[in-house]
Amino acid sequence: MNGSTETGGTPATDQAPPTDQAPPTEHQILAEIAGLLAVVLDEYGLDEGEVTMDARFAEDLGLESIDLVTLAGHLQERWGERINFAEWLAGMELDEIIGLTVGRLVAHVADRLQTAGRS
Amino acid sequence: MAFLDLGALRFHVQRLGPADGGPPAATAVLLHGLLTDSLASYYFTLAPALAAAGVEVLMYDQRGHGRSGRPPGGYRLERFVDDAEELLERLAPDRPVHLVGNSFGGTVAFALAARRPERITGILAIESEPASPAWAVKLDGILRQAETGLADEPTLAWVAARRGAHTARLARSAGRLLAGTTLARDIPASRLPTEAQLRRIGCPVLAVYGTESDLAAQAAWLESLLPDCRSTFVPGQEHSVLIEAPDTVLALTLAWLREHGAELRGPAARGDLERSLR
Repeated sequence: MNGSTETGGTPATDQAPPTDQAPPTEHQILAEIAGLLAVVLDEYGLDEGEVTMDARFAEDLGLESIDLVTLAGHLQERWGERINFAEWLAGMELDEIIGLTVGRLVAHVADRLQTAGRS
Repeated sequence: MAFLDLGALRFHVQRLGPADGGPPAATAVLLHGLLTDSLASYYFTLAPALAAAGVEVLMYDQRGHGRSGRPPGGYRLERFVDDAEELLERLAPDRPVHLVGNSFGGTVAFALAARRPERITGILAIESEPASPAWAVKLDGILRQAETGLADEPTLAWVAARRGAHTARLARSAGRLLAGTTLARDIPASRLPTEAQLRRIGCPVLAVYGTESDLAAQAAWLESLLPDCRSTFVPGQEHSVLIEAPDTVLALTLAWLREHGAELRGPAARGDLERSLR
């Protein structure tokens, strides 16, 4: 997966406005997912800059499986039926889910949004 | 995330499927176990595939667990059964349902079926048993041990080293549930269904055990107690069959729903999924 901009424009930053025309870059998706995680983990808190592409949901960010259910709801609210987190995770082994990184989710979301954009 | 208020208590409820938007081939209510369990155990295992097969899947976090409310008291079995009964009235008032229960979730399912037999089409009980005097004694021992162990830092460190940080986190969260509520005292003090009441569970029951689990030894007793009960054993598994062998449990569930009249759709329609797992 290409981690930087694919649209050929200026490099994405946190300040880059989301556009309706082009699918968001992985960088923009990462920023959005970090925002959703902050909501999910409200009561435990999340350190600044902790949500990186390499961070693992369970081991590094402290999510329990029930937090992943909550995250699934937020993902669907944000991006609609294009993102079916439960179905995606159901295809994985338990160890794989526990070791899942933010980067894999970002790549999955980017992939689904691009596919949806083309159709 | 969906919440439903029953009286003063807020329940976290998830409904999935049917994935194709058509009429449900069946309605299944999935009940999770005690302490470290939540609806997540189904949400990421059985639920999406059942929804894809045309089943309406209803899941909720039981009182004190997951994202549902955690009152300080009120954890006798009959309270959990009240919750299940009322949620059924709210979520599926006009149709009988299949119950899938994991561990304590199955204990709730048996008690609910004894109370409202006309509402239940069938029970799939995973590593589970109906409440009985022996059950109350066993749970008392387990909960006392958990209360001490899960408040003990060296024990939690041992869990983290042996079973990983995620399991340790679940254990810590179960420790908070035990420390903050009367659950450990309440469960053994539950009102127990009598054997005569349990015999009234006329619906078909499939009891799933791991061959390496202590519970497997009760299979013959349960079959003799219930009018229509069959047992199946998953080789090499202990108590955590649902989590450790989700594909096997899914195949069993689909075959069982089909056996009891559900016209499944999608990839599960012809039983390909079950065959591919054999």
